[in-house]
Amino acid sequence: MRRAVAIGLKIPDNAAYTALVTLRRLGIDVARVERADIVRFADAPDEATALMAAVERDESLYNPNKHRVTVLETDAPRVGEVWIVQDNVDRPVGWRLYRSPDLPADTATLTQAAERLLCNPAIERAIFPK
Amino acid sequence: MSARIAVLVFPGTNSEDETFRILRDCGGDVHLVHWSHAQTLPTFDAYVLPGGFAYEDRIRAGAIAAHDAMMDHVIAGAQAGKLVLGICNGAQILLEAGLVPGTAAIRRPTAAFTGNGPVPHFVCTHVYVKLAIDPARCAMTAGLGHDPLIPAWTANGEGRLAASKEHLQELEDGDHIAFVYAHEDGSVDDSASPNQSALGIAGLCNREGNVLALMPHPERDAWTLNHPDRRRGAAMLAPSGGAVFFRSFVGALQ
Repeated sequence: MRRAVAIGLKIPDNAAYTALVTLRRLGIDVARVERADIVRFADAPDEATALMAAVERDESLYNPNKHRVTVLETDAPRVGEVWIVQDNVDRPVGWRLYRSPDLPADTATLTQAAERLLCNPAIERAIFPK
Repeated sequence: MSARIAVLVFPGTNSEDETFRILRDCGGDVHLVHWSHAQTLPTFDAYVLPGGFAYEDRIRAGAIAAHDAMMDHVIAGAQAGKLVLGICNGAQILLEAGLVPGTAAIRRPTAAFTGNGPVPHFVCTHVYVKLAIDPARCAMTAGLGHDPLIPAWTANGEGRLAASKEHLQELEDGDHIAFVYAHEDGSVDDSASPNQSALGIAGLCNREGNVLALMPHPERDAWTLNHPDRRRGAAMLAPSGGAVFFRSFVGALQ
């Protein structure tokens, strides 16, 4: 089964905060930004808990003092999230934007954020939620 | 009054000292300007963005710095015809800011210096770059004469120029390719590039010729002690080949 996990930081994420400040400077209305490495598995266990356990055993992916793992429902960006895929790099970076602390950003905001800051189209492409 | 040169210091810049020193040694009236003093930048006549890791390369190398308040002044200055030079991380910032090659809107990048090839490792090695345009095409290279070969050190993990095939053709057609990697004898072939940069590109300039993005560091081969053959007995602090480039830069301001 094809699945993906998001591996984010549970410690303060300086890169996400810098992105938040810069997006606001550009006039893009965001209240919160989360960043995660997206790791995709072509042949993952059906059970989310089994996949989570497998990721948590892999020290090259996961440090319990630093990371938080979320198993995604589908192999695609979540609501309010854009994946930035760089040429020749396997793992996308997921940027999840919020309009208010609990309200994920709409597609128009995500598109604006990708075009103006998060994605350099010469070397990257943006994948939006379906 | 001589022209004043600002060497910009973003959080994470690390090559400001050697850049400052060689510009000063070449006769420039040069000043370091920290990010907290961005408002002073309009009083300068030229801007140099040195190497380093501005804003820790967050998001992408140069992406955050391109939107910093200092760049508002640099962009305004460039549009008014002031000279702007970016070296290494400074070059990445100029591409992210859209000042180079300058074929699209400001802050809409069309190319990038990205992960090195064939493997995306940090590359630190001595290189030569050769001018690939008529010297007069770019104000900063006008003093170099024909066929100059500039020694430099490349020190980056993301120095490979990447752009679409169509855009690379546009860069060639528009004479934007200012410098290419070369061998010590001046010959140019694919093996001269340390990182598989597209078309062997080491430096790009804008249409007007007042903005130049150069990936390797000529300021790190500006005195003989920095040159690989320093053991041959030359005076340690004699000007080396990289100084020629900065003399041309300062000369363009006089």
